[in-house]
Amino acid sequence: MAKVLLIEDDSETAEEITAELADRGFEVEWSANGIEGLDKARSSRPDAMIVDRLLPGMDGLTVIEALRKEQVRTPVLVLSALGAVDDRVRGLRMGGDDYLTKPFAVVELVARIEALLRRPAESRETILRVGPLELDLIERTAKRGDRAIDLLPREFRLLEYMMQRSDQLLTRAMLLEEVWNYKFVPATNLVDVHMGRLRHKVDGPDDAPMIHNVRGAGFILRAGS
Amino acid sequence: MRQPQFMRSNTFHWAFMVGGVFAVFIIVLFGFIYWKIDDYLTARSDRVITAQLEGIAALPPERRLEAIDERLRQDPRGVQLAAIFAADGHRITGNLESLPSDLRIDAEAQGADIIRTDRNGREHQTVRAIARRMRNGDVLVLGRNVDEAKEISHVVGQALALGLLPGFSLCLLAGAWLSVRAQKRVEEVNQRVQRIIAGDLRERLPHRTVDEPFSKLAVIVNGMLDEMETMIHALAGVGNDIAHDLRTPLTRARLTLERGRTNAATLEQLQAVADKAIAGIDQSLAIITALLRLAEIENSRRSAGFGTVALDEMLREVCDIYEPIAENKNIALRVGATQPLTVRGDRDLLIEAVANLVDNAIKFTPEGGKVDIALLRGEDETIVCVTDTGCGISEQEREAVLRRFYRSDKMRNTPGVGLGLNLVAAIVKLHGFRMAIRSGPGCRVEIVCPNRQD
Repeated sequence: MAKVLLIEDDSETAEEITAELADRGFEVEWSANGIEGLDKARSSRPDAMIVDRLLPGMDGLTVIEALRKEQVRTPVLVLSALGAVDDRVRGLRMGGDDYLTKPFAVVELVARIEALLRRPAESRETILRVGPLELDLIERTAKRGDRAIDLLPREFRLLEYMMQRSDQLLTRAMLLEEVWNYKFVPATNLVDVHMGRLRHKVDGPDDAPMIHNVRGAGFILRAGS
Repeated sequence: MRQPQFMRSNTFHWAFMVGGVFAVFIIVLFGFIYWKIDDYLTARSDRVITAQLEGIAALPPERRLEAIDERLRQDPRGVQLAAIFAADGHRITGNLESLPSDLRIDAEAQGADIIRTDRNGREHQTVRAIARRMRNGDVLVLGRNVDEAKEISHVVGQALALGLLPGFSLCLLAGAWLSVRAQKRVEEVNQRVQRIIAGDLRERLPHRTVDEPFSKLAVIVNGMLDEMETMIHALAGVGNDIAHDLRTPLTRARLTLERGRTNAATLEQLQAVADKAIAGIDQSLAIITALLRLAEIENSRRSAGFGTVALDEMLREVCDIYEPIAENKNIALRVGATQPLTVRGDRDLLIEAVANLVDNAIKFTPEGGKVDIALLRGEDETIVCVTDTGCGISEQEREAVLRRFYRSDKMRNTPGVGLGLNLVAAIVKLHGFRMAIRSGPGCRVEIVCPNRQD
């Protein structure tokens, strides 16, 4: 059972998050201020942390910087009412951590925490396999069973990202950030259109569907039924 | 003791300082004049006594005594000195008690300390004197008391006092007057500013037509106040717009929830109601997020984080993302960026700006239309240009859509938050670029990036 440390000063938000994460089988520890949170992070060694940016005592980014200086590499999801036009946030993202702007949907938060916990290990594998799906990263080819799939470069990148995180809920915002490198949410349902095209290619008329749409949340690539 | 207000002002201190420097300069000047005149008078009296010495020395010895007596008689001011001393040093005639020890004989006229002796007694004096040894061994001494120098210094001092004191006082008076005047203006401005702070936005600073720094400053501040007044009015209007836009989806959500609460009989029905309500709330949140993001970009000063952005590559990327959407709507999306061009900027924000333009273009172009993204290189500028074949933006609205928070009535009924162009404008402004809206076949929006001077 993964242990998550939540540092958030608003008790109602904290309660909601705790309840939701507990439902998903996480063990959640809550701390309402920065200094206490930092102590807990040191003592109880959580698997992941959710840190609000504006905290009494010590602000969230400072807590993370303090931990990083002590070589604590626990993945962190930062919550903030501020957007991402900030160099400190960029540094955070480059360090492999994640950032979520308030207000957010709870599914988004859970999906991101799961993504942080299940970060794909650095692998030397050049062929990705999920169920009948096979992606050759060198040859840049894809096939499902014996059927070759003709993919555009962008579709290839999308499928590669999804195959590295199969059976994980991927939200639209995550896909935009990671696959298209978009740091904002565009007005049009960009992701759905791209996903529709990819699904059309991956899931043939006679195949069992592999790309699943989770209503109001995002997409999951599943190996089989 | 407290100094009066005007004496504490900077203007007055400056006037005082300038007056002081001026006074020192005048004193030095007068000193120089005094020194020069003194020098001249000494030289003249030296010449006179030398000439007289020559004259007396040329006389036969017995006439010399007469000449000296004559000379001393005709000296009512008592400045003349003359004497003849015998070779052994005793005085033969004249009003010098003895031969001054420091007076060199047969030399040029020089300064000497002597003791004058006559009917009025003896007196130490410093004089100009000359001595010459006659052929019979006597020493002839002539001198002249240069007391005129003292008189001159007195005159100079008087002139100095007469000129300097009124001058310095005038300086101080001028300083005091200027500082009092400045203080009055400041007080006047302060009263108006207080009224503005109190909320009277129409108040302006007083200014005269004269070309004077205070008036210039007042004109500048008034210009700023004009701008602020318009902005505040615009903002008040925006507040109403936002309230209206937020209320619509929230009202819908509320209605949905209310009706669902009474009507929904099954869990599925209740879930459908909740989904609908969440969608309404999400739309309200999207508006708030867009506004916050706008404010964030407008307030950020992050040009330090700028890097070199390859525009051609960036445009192709945007095109790549939007191609499927355009295709779904049967719109031909093309990018014309053949030459590699770069600008300094924030890549993420620039992508956001261009993506917003393309998003808008596709949204407002009817099926079967065209959207072109082009990269043009001008003499001094690089232009990113998005052209569509949609309904366009009317001439009257063109300026308005770039104004902060303006929302066209046409846009209000299309999906989306409707702050896209404002966001683009904010990003463009942050980069120091320009944005222009022209009429193409439909609408043509340009981001004009001035080329760097390096």
